Amino acid sequence: MSTDLDILKDVSTEEYKYGFTTNIEMEMAPIGLNEDTVRYISAKKNEPEWLLEWRLKAYRQFEKMEWPSWQNFEMPSMDLQSISFYAAPRKKAKLNSLEEVDPELLATFEKLGIPLTEQKMLAGVAVDAVFDSVSVATTFKGKLKEMGVIFCSFGEAVQEYPDLVKKFLGTVVPHTDNIFAALNAAVFSDGSFVYIPKGVRCPMELSTYFRINAENTGQFERTLIVADDDSYVSYLEGCTAPMRDENQLHAAVVELIALENAEIKYSTVQNWYPGDKDGKGGIYNFVTKRGICKGVNSKISWTQVETGSAITWKYPSVILRGDNSTGEFYSVALTKNKQVADTGTKMYHIGKNTRSRIISKGISAGEGQNSYRGLVQVGSGADNARNFTQCDSLLIGDQCGAHTFPYIESKNNSAMVEHEATTSKIGEDQIFYLNQRGIDTEKAVALIVNGYAKEVLNQLPMEFAVEAQKLLAISLEGSVG
Amino acid sequence: MEHRTTQINSTLYDQCIADYEVRSPLFAAEAPEVVAARAQAIEQFKQLGFPSTKVEDWKYTNLVPVLKENFELEQDAEVLTVAEALLAQAKIDLLDCYRIVLVNGKYRADLSEVPAVEGLFLSSLSDAADRPAFKQHFGKYIDLSKFHFAAANTALFRNGLFIDVKRNTVVEKPLHLIHVATAGAPTYFQPRQLFVVGTSASISVIESYVTDGAPVFVNNVAEIVVQENAQMQHFYIQAGDANARYVHHTEVYQQANSQYNNYKASFPGTSLWRNNMNIALDGENVESHLYGLYLAGGHQLVDNHTIVDHRKPHCNSNELYKGVMKDESAGVFNGKIFVRKDAQKTNAFQQNNNMLLGKKAVVDSKPQLEIFADDVKCSHGSTMGQFNPEALFYLKSRGIGDEKARALLVHAFAYDVTEKIPIPEVQSHINALIDQGLK
Repeated sequence: MSTDLDILKDVSTEEYKYGFTTNIEMEMAPIGLNEDTVRYISAKKNEPEWLLEWRLKAYRQFEKMEWPSWQNFEMPSMDLQSISFYAAPRKKAKLNSLEEVDPELLATFEKLGIPLTEQKMLAGVAVDAVFDSVSVATTFKGKLKEMGVIFCSFGEAVQEYPDLVKKFLGTVVPHTDNIFAALNAAVFSDGSFVYIPKGVRCPMELSTYFRINAENTGQFERTLIVADDDSYVSYLEGCTAPMRDENQLHAAVVELIALENAEIKYSTVQNWYPGDKDGKGGIYNFVTKRGICKGVNSKISWTQVETGSAITWKYPSVILRGDNSTGEFYSVALTKNKQVADTGTKMYHIGKNTRSRIISKGISAGEGQNSYRGLVQVGSGADNARNFTQCDSLLIGDQCGAHTFPYIESKNNSAMVEHEATTSKIGEDQIFYLNQRGIDTEKAVALIVNGYAKEVLNQLPMEFAVEAQKLLAISLEGSVG
Repeated sequence: MEHRTTQINSTLYDQCIADYEVRSPLFAAEAPEVVAARAQAIEQFKQLGFPSTKVEDWKYTNLVPVLKENFELEQDAEVLTVAEALLAQAKIDLLDCYRIVLVNGKYRADLSEVPAVEGLFLSSLSDAADRPAFKQHFGKYIDLSKFHFAAANTALFRNGLFIDVKRNTVVEKPLHLIHVATAGAPTYFQPRQLFVVGTSASISVIESYVTDGAPVFVNNVAEIVVQENAQMQHFYIQAGDANARYVHHTEVYQQANSQYNNYKASFPGTSLWRNNMNIALDGENVESHLYGLYLAGGHQLVDNHTIVDHRKPHCNSNELYKGVMKDESAGVFNGKIFVRKDAQKTNAFQQNNNMLLGKKAVVDSKPQLEIFADDVKCSHGSTMGQFNPEALFYLKSRGIGDEKARALLVHAFAYDVTEKIPIPEVQSHINALIDQGLK
């Protein structure tokens, strides 16, 4: 506990720790968005014709769509014509080892604490660092390759495994899904691609650090993870972004595909720049994440800890198509100052005996607004489907808000669906109990909040659990009392 | 005329707009509060129209088939004769009460037992125009920009009932309101009620529904004001035949230290029951209880929307809705709890449990919390399931037949609601209706 508190103290006194920009020469797309932008990106990435066509189709779809208005916050005005849709650190050839990587970039990663240069010591973590839009270094590739695991940047996958990409791209999140998915499909810059072959249990946690760096650049990542029959993979995504005043749009798409008996575990810790205490600046994190349990007995599990971004707006979902498949969603969302989180999940029960479990913990402090929005849908063929949902909200201070909007729809009378939600503040009796044990109020709150979120934090892989705990404590500093 | 996709194109809409034009010269004879409310409401209705499923609150309730049936707007009704047998359908055995009959919304003193209680005033809405309580409260509480049907009703209602319970008046016997909907041709009715329960007064009102004849589409609005220290027990027993569709809006406004309890039970029969139940807790130490039981059968759609709006500190609300869906029926529950910024020390609970008996039955539940204060205890829960096979087996192993065992389990499921009904005669009446509905 004491280490957590030290961190809490350290960090509370500083501003957003990761607020710095790296001065690396950038290669930028011309400002604005039109078909030429799409062609420019596609050409830059040397993409095959079918992918360009796919992007253009998405772009035309995007043009037809309107910005949504149903969300529980005020949509910030975004001028997509004033940003550049592509930024890549200027580099010459493909890099084979860390020595070839721009030292300033490496320094940036070091400041962020990404264990890129210490990978040998931090055994078990293969890092595919995405610096803005283009992967600069991929590690542990050899070891993974031995097992037949493909873990590379999206651009690379398009070049080297076009058949796999073509087969699965857009099958879970079609470009028509929503306006941000359409935008992403049109202009996505890069991302990660993972393929786990049949019968392989991926020996290490795969992880990627996303980092938005170039000013005035929207970030449009695309991640595609395919777990073939009888395979297992755990994927980690963590984010930090430099501080700046202009709002930035991040509209990523993540697609997960689990085939027969496969399991995918996807964990996120998101602590992007949330804006200052008056709500100025900050990232708009509008992400479409969806997985499909395609085969029988497959499983997809989403875990997320959301403490950053001015607005976090996403619903990691699972389509439970295969019989006996399982979907899980564990979330902690913390909002403070003027932050907004509108998050939750969707579980579509289609196959028989499908199960889903949703645990959502919202923490609102300051003037933060936290919404849980979720859908549990049981189709008429989903015999014996089972869902359990729990969403709790913790309120700290009288200026914040907590909102719950669950949608529960059942068309099958053998399904069992349960939903419960509570809203409360930290009990005075709880604080008192800890006080009289000699723990001051600040520590007591950190302790209680960590306990409150434990159910979710426990789902995270070790490395992330520590970071997530730190983040929670840091973010709460100053909200108490 | 072009309509947005949030509206349904229908002749009924056009009839409503035309009706307002035709009747507006006559409105001048009404109380100025009513005239103003009508004028504002028609503008709202012109904007809103009849809601399509694109409107979030109507997501699960599609009115297109209803509006396709070419209902005619009600005209100034002549006095219809109503068979005593029809009224007997709503009779609650052994209950000592005042019977009040409303035919298509119109108060019928000739069929009613007028309560001779000092401090209790009861009349048709049109006869209430100069009552201070009427002037003070009529049309004050519904946010017409959000409620399509309430806007239409406010603009165009013809008949209604006004009940004014004066300060400190305790009405011992319950009032039993029997709403009769009857028509020779398919008709759209828009009746309205206003109940004002004065300071420290107390009353129980039971409302029953019977239908007869051609298809009817009833858009009812009830406004209820429960003033300081006052108490109201309010019962809805919603039944009728498959020819009937109801959209029923109840708007309750509670002042400090008041208590309002609503018990609602709906049964198979009518094709559509859409209830909007809104409660504003606008004073300290207010208590509200909402109990609902919906037993749906056939192709029935029962849609319960509730809003509990905590505006002031130290209030308690408790909501429990239980649904049993048979056959191919559909149940919808949409419960919303608001806790405003200043409403500290609020306790608000909401629960919705559903039992799907029919293989093709459908249920949609949207329990929602919107909370802007921190020192509160709020929770909601929602479940969907069916008979517990172990419980069934247990009963059968004790020699109870399958059908009987299932009925027992439904009663047990409903018991959480039925046991709360404070009038024993009403309780056994509802239990009998459950039995009948399960057949």
